[in-house]
Formats: sequence, C-alpha cells, structure tokens
Amino acid sequence: MFLRRKAIATFVAAIALVVGMSAALEASPADNDLKVPKLEFQDVKLDNGLRVILVPDHSAPVYAIDVCYNVGSRNERPGRTGFAHLFEHMMFQGSENIGKGEHFSLVLNNGGGMNGTTNEDRTTYFEALPKNQLDLGLFLESDRMRALNITQANLDNQRNAVQEERRQGIDNQPYGRASLDLDNLSYDNFAYKHSTIGSMTDLNAATIQDVKDFFRIYYAPNNAVLTLVGDFNPDEALAKVKKYFGSIPSQPEPPKVLLDEEPHYGERRETIYDPLARLPEIDMAYHIPPGNTPENYAIQQLAIVLGQGESSRLYQHLVKEKQLASDVSVQADARIGVSQLYFSANPRPGVKVVDLERAMNDEIDAVVKDGITAQELAKAKTQLLRQFIERRRSDLYTAILIGSYTVYFNDPNLINTTLAKENAVTLAQVNAATRRFLARDQRTVVITLPAAEDGSSAPKAGK
Amino acid sequence: MRKDFSKSWSVFVSAAMFAALTFSAPVARAQQGQDKAAPLSQVQRLNRAPVNKEILRVQLPRPEVQTLPNGLMLVLQEDHKLPTIAFTMWIRPGQLADPADLPGLASFTAEMLREGTERRTSAQLAQEVDQLGATLDASSRFGASFTSVNASGLINSTSEILDLMSDVVLHPAFPAGELDKYKQREEAGLEELLGNPNFLGQREFRHVIYGDTPMAIASPTKESIEKLSVEDLKKFHGQHYVPGNAILGVTGDFRSSDMRALVEKYFGGWKGAAEAPLSFPDAVTPKPTKITLVDRPGSVQTYIVGGDRGIRRVDPEYYKLVVMNQVLGGGPQARLFLDLREEHSLTYGSYSRFNSDIYPGDWQASAPVRTTVTGDAMERFVFEFKRINDEPVQTSELDEARRSIIAGFALSLEQPAQLLSDWLTVQYYGLPMDYWDKYPDRVSEVDAAGVQAAAKRFVDLNHMQWVAVGDRKQIQEKLSKYGPVTVVDVNGKAKN
Repeated sequence: MFLRRKAIATFVAAIALVVGMSAALEASPADNDLKVPKLEFQDVKLDNGLRVILVPDHSAPVYAIDVCYNVGSRNERPGRTGFAHLFEHMMFQGSENIGKGEHFSLVLNNGGGMNGTTNEDRTTYFEALPKNQLDLGLFLESDRMRALNITQANLDNQRNAVQEERRQGIDNQPYGRASLDLDNLSYDNFAYKHSTIGSMTDLNAATIQDVKDFFRIYYAPNNAVLTLVGDFNPDEALAKVKKYFGSIPSQPEPPKVLLDEEPHYGERRETIYDPLARLPEIDMAYHIPPGNTPENYAIQQLAIVLGQGESSRLYQHLVKEKQLASDVSVQADARIGVSQLYFSANPRPGVKVVDLERAMNDEIDAVVKDGITAQELAKAKTQLLRQFIERRRSDLYTAILIGSYTVYFNDPNLINTTLAKENAVTLAQVNAATRRFLARDQRTVVITLPAAEDGSSAPKAGK
Repeated sequence: MRKDFSKSWSVFVSAAMFAALTFSAPVARAQQGQDKAAPLSQVQRLNRAPVNKEILRVQLPRPEVQTLPNGLMLVLQEDHKLPTIAFTMWIRPGQLADPADLPGLASFTAEMLREGTERRTSAQLAQEVDQLGATLDASSRFGASFTSVNASGLINSTSEILDLMSDVVLHPAFPAGELDKYKQREEAGLEELLGNPNFLGQREFRHVIYGDTPMAIASPTKESIEKLSVEDLKKFHGQHYVPGNAILGVTGDFRSSDMRALVEKYFGGWKGAAEAPLSFPDAVTPKPTKITLVDRPGSVQTYIVGGDRGIRRVDPEYYKLVVMNQVLGGGPQARLFLDLREEHSLTYGSYSRFNSDIYPGDWQASAPVRTTVTGDAMERFVFEFKRINDEPVQTSELDEARRSIIAGFALSLEQPAQLLSDWLTVQYYGLPMDYWDKYPDRVSEVDAAGVQAAAKRFVDLNHMQWVAVGDRKQIQEKLSKYGPVTVVDVNGKAKN
C-alpha cells in the first residue's frame, strides 16, 4: 500500500520563484595568497515550497544530490524517541515506483555512493553519481518524497536494524551510555535531552500510523531543501527538478519546536559503572549559544586552542607534560538551538580520576582567567581556513553542507561566508565568551568507571 | 582515539562508501508490485526508474613518475581544484619486518618520528604543524607491508611542510624522555583496544589465519611496549628508512616541473639503497574449520567473522575475487546484507572484504548480531556461503556486479587522495602503467564460472575459520554446531 500525498492546495503550477542569487563578494581570507574558491549558485523556490539550490561544478564528471528535511530528533515526542531516525530507515524501503532494496541497487550498481543520516536537527539523504545519471538521482528522491511505501513488515524489519545499530554503536561499546547520559543530564528541554537513537522501549512502540503521520507532516516539499552540486547545466537541471518534484503537493507548516534552555542551578554530576569500559572516562559539557552566532564561532576557536591538534593546551599539558591523560578531546557543536562545548579525557592506567579532573579544572580556570593568546587565535584561524578549503573537495560533501546550512540557518551562502565570519572573531570576543560560558556551576559532568565483571560495582543512582 | 561528540545515525555504514558494490539479483524473476510472499532478501525490481544504460567511461589521469638519483621514487599528480598540497610516502617494509620478540616495532618507530628530531622538540613540531594548519602523521598498520608518512596542508606552505616531513623522516631523535611518555600512552591504548569487539575479533582471525607468520600480529603486547628501547627505534629506522625503499606521492596545486627540484632540496641528501623485499611463501594448505570464541561478558552482540586465506595483489585470479566478493558482501545491496539484515533482521549490516598484498592475504565476511540470534546468523552465513558455491551467478546479477565496479571510476575523479593511492599501488606492486585503463576489461571478463571458482577457493565451509566475540554463556553451545570451539579471554588466552 502506498501512502500518497494528499493535495492540500488545488493548484500546483510549478512556477519557480527566484529568491536570490549569491552575488556577494568574498571577504578576504586570512591569507591573501590563496585563491579561496567561491561557489556561485542559484537559490530557487518551487511553487510547492521546495527550496532548490543549484551549484554547477565542472571539475569532474559527477554530481551530488542532497535532500535535507527540516526534521530531527528534536521534533520527537516523549514515548517516541528514536523515531526520526527510524523513519529515515523507512525511506529506503521503497516507494511507489521503487521496490524494496532497489534504491541501494540502482545507485550502487551505477557507480554511485549514497546514505542518509539523522541528528537532532535535520535528516539528510544524499547520492553521488556519474553525471549521466542525473535523472536517476532526482527520480529516487522525488518518488519517495511523493509516495513512500509503508508496510508493517518493513517497519518491523527496520526497527530491528535500528535496534542493532544502537547495540553496535552504544550498548556494546565502552562509554556508549556515557555519551547519551551527558546530553540527558545537561539538557532540560526534551528536544535535545533525549537521544537521537532512541530507547528500545520507544522503538518497540512505534506504529504504522506514526510512520504515516510523520511522513505527512514532515516529509513535504515545503519542509525540504534540495541541493545539486556538480557537472550539469543549471537550466536543464532546474527543468528536471520541476519535472520530478513540481507536482508534489505542499503540506501545512510542521509545528515549531522551542529549543530554549534555562540556566542550571548548579553543576550537575553523575557517575556510571560500565562493565565494558577498561579505563575511566571524564565527559563534560557546557552550554553555548546556537550555531552561526558570533559567540558560537568564538567558542569553536577556543575548542581548537584547547584540544585540537597536538599543540593544543590540553594535549600538551595533560597528555604530554603531566601525563595524566592517555587521550583528550575538545569539541564545540553548532546546533539550531542551544549548543554545547564538550570535553572528554581518559586517565592513563594508574592515574586517579579525581586527579585528572582537577587538572582539567585548572586548565579551564586558567583560560577563563587569562584567556587565550593572539598567537593561539591565529593558529586556530589557519586551521579553520584549511578546513574551509578542504570541505570544497567533493560535490557530495558540499551538497550535504549547503543543505544543512539552509535547514539550520536559512542561509545556503554560509558555504561561502563562514570563513569571513570565522576571521571576524576577535581575541576579546573569544575571551569574553570563555568567561561567560565556561562557568563551573553551569556545566555537566559524567564520570564513567569500569565495573567488575560480576557487576559488583552497581550504580547507586541511575536512569 | 578522538571522541566524536556529534553523533549522526545512518541507514548503513560500510567500510568504503564509494567503492563499487555488488548487488544481489533475485534467484527468481523480479516481482511486479509489492508481493508480500517474495523473500525480502531479493531486490524487488520495479524497473521504473530512469537509468542511463551507458556507463560513463573515464580514464584516470596519469601521474608523472620519476626516480631520484638516491633511489626515491616520485609520483606526481597535479590537481588544481583547490589550493592545497598532500604528500604520501610509503616506506617498505613496515610491521611485517618486526622482530619476533618485539611486535609493534615498526608502528612504534613511525609514531615516534613526531616526538622529536635533531633540531626540533616534539612540542616544537606540534606547534609548527598546527600553525601552518597542516597535518603530519606516520603510522605502520599491522598487516601492512609498508610504513606510511602523510603530510598535507595549504599550497603556500609547501616548503614548510616538506621541511617538516623530511625532518621527521630523515632525522628523528627518539628522545628517551619522549619514549617513556609514549610507552605509557601505548599501554593505555592497548588497554582500550581490549574493550573493542571489532579489534578482538580481527586479532583472533589474524591469529588463526596467519599462524606463525608476521601477518598474525594485530597489536603490540604489554611486554613489547615495556621492552622497547631507543636503540631498537634507531636500529629499525636506520635499517629501513632509506630512499631506495620509498615511494613519495604528491597531489595538489603544484607544477610537476617545480616539484622535483623542491623534493630534491629536502630529500636529496637522503641516502640508502633499497633492501631486498620481504618474501612470503604461498598460501598454506587450508586448515579444517574451527571456531575461536572470545569471551566478552556483558556483550549484547556477537561479532562474527568467517574467512580464509586469500591471494597476492598481483595474482591473475584477483579479478575473480573482486567480483565474487562484490556479489557476496560488497555493500548494502549484496547478498549478506539483504539476507542477514533486510530479510532476517539480525544485524545493522553484514559485509565481506579481502586483503591482498605482497603476501597472500585473506578474505572474510562479518556481522555484529544481537546475542540471542547468534545461531540464526551462523545459519544464514552458511546458507549464503553454500549458495555462492553451488549455484552459478545469474547473468543479470553478474552484469550488475561488474557494472558497479566499472562505473565507480567516475566518482574517483573528484577524490585526488584516492587517485594518488591508485597510482602508488601501481608503482608499489610493479603493475603496468595502463593497469587502470585495462581494469574494466579484466573485470568484464570474469564470468559465472570465475565467480564460482573464487567461491570454491575462498568461501569453503570445510576450511572456514570462524571467530565470535561475545558472551560465551549464551552462545558457546549454538556455535558448537558449526565446528569445534576454542574459548579464549580478551587477552587471547585459552579458557576452559
């Protein structure tokens, strides 16, 4: 049985409304010697609300297609955690004109690559194919946007696949539980509090009706961004997009999700005993502003200085000089809502967790008090410049990135402007953001301790 | 191990997303519509999608290959899309030359290169690399026949990058203080590895498949880490890190005519003739099937591996193995995935792969499955292994498998790292320069008989070597149905 789109609007003339071309001049990069490539693209909205970004790139005879839907695990309700990702699996089970398994087969047997991924904020589907398969990619994406095939057998089968995905990535891995517990403890708003992979109970509870409703509400052209990057003629490509997608009816705007977080009353802590872990681990999280804000860009650079690259502070001080940690990571994410700065470190054998934590606290206190140096900031900017350029390597990665930028921040031109935004961050801004957001009473800490094989160190408090 | 905090969840994860993958044709004719009676392990072909029947044929751009007077081979591949540069050096012989009492020496040597040179401390190296926005790393994978040194960054730092790379390769200092710290990190790393089910499974698989050969080693040991001395590192480096043993590949926004002079400036003073390459005997007589169970209490999945010895990279049977592997387990529309996941819901994914090197390598299939269905998963593996042995592949299935490999070349044109690796492979194994041009034809020549021959040779249930990592209390009995079971602990020591 196929779930066909119910036409809400009676008229579906596929008149493209051009909303803008990217014409802004590139802000000068950190190093004027380098030719930083600027992407030209068309940004067009179809009459049914589908936003279409077309980026010609004739450097290789390939193209990539990304369809990014404005839905993620933040949109789930209590009792249905993991649903957005489970739904993503359903999108590969066939549609009106595509049989079960046929999507994988058609793409991979015609020289392509593909996947789909879900996180808190968005669900994105993508293929890369030789340039002579443009119709194939457009057909696959439009057919499932229009008429996904939803059956109990498919749902049961993919539910199992997702549960195995959870076991493989979380339940059967050391520190798997810690990664879920950290966000669960740190966030109060349900949207980001619960895990994208979901609980086994909720996955078991998902019904066919849930799938149909989710499809209708979220998988509408007006809730999606289609990005094409590669070796095509933009006018021809746009005509094909209209041909395949133009008649898919739009749906009412999905309900918005508030992503506010209140300040914490004090530091939050949890200790868990993990029978699969052989070394302890300390994981910390601090709330920071949403992505694409000046303060988030500032904290990204702080994260590089603190923990990325072997010259970073935490690697040099905790791993090399004091030899307290066997490994350390620092990373800041950039979500639609309140984001986080994460720290993670493992004490090397023989080192007490409390001693490692004290040393981490000392590092954080020092950077709050004295800030980072101009030289450290310059180093971070050079690393970001390099990353910015390397990201342009593949059409596929570019398409995925543009889709995410558009869904998250309504700004596909970020593919060109993030470099200037990163360069605009000043030392004063980084240090001010550090003082503001790295407050001890606002952080969350999860300590993982290895449990004995017989489970004798049972957790005292836990979820 | 860097922790990845931003977890995205995907519909599948396989080792090489863009590698050409097999498909699995239905044994019966494709069904129209959504017939619930059709087994889910078959692709349901509606054949309504617009597919261009023509394969976009491409030719891989040829590099410039030269050898410097000191014996260093240079492979230069210009790529002007982005203002970047990447150097990749392969230095024989790698981990396979580790002394028997010091497993991991090649890896230790490679990783210690960055811990100080004659004119730079470890911290100075780190600072200079990060300030350039560059990356510099060296590693020696277990089972690989060479050490790999990689340096990359922005094109306007080319000289600085080469300076750093040549400094660590030619003049590492192996400071004693840094060695002590490194050893402690290695010990911690080894401890962590023992918690990783994939590592445990692969370690035992190698142990069983490769017996007494150097390829059986999958990691250092506590003893070898403790024992390691500065003298050991200097000796390994002095003996093996010579230009005659090395190939340097370069890709990026440079001119070949300028690059040679630049490389000579930094590597020209490097001296040392090639060593005789390591040699390895032909594959041994297959052993009778058996199962090694790594007991991992608390495991909620069983990681199953089944496989056997394979062939050398230059073996003429290579193409048959490539195509057979594609059909059986090359990707999410190959037989193992469709059977174990899409039909029987046992796993997030099941695939097969092979390793072919200067020694006869291995072929293996694997899947992590929830503990309670371990027996069912074994049954499915056995079913699929029998099927590819007993039933000739249908023409349509074979066509699609070959097509997926050949059509996949187009995508590689936007992956300069892949292209460079392809050309280093040609140089390393002594393949002809038209190897990649001819590759599609060689693949096209593999017929159903060829696939079946490869199956009979590499997927033979009488000699299949199995490894299962999981909770022995729940799985040992089920596994014993498939062969004699030996139980070991996570350290590899036999358990009763």
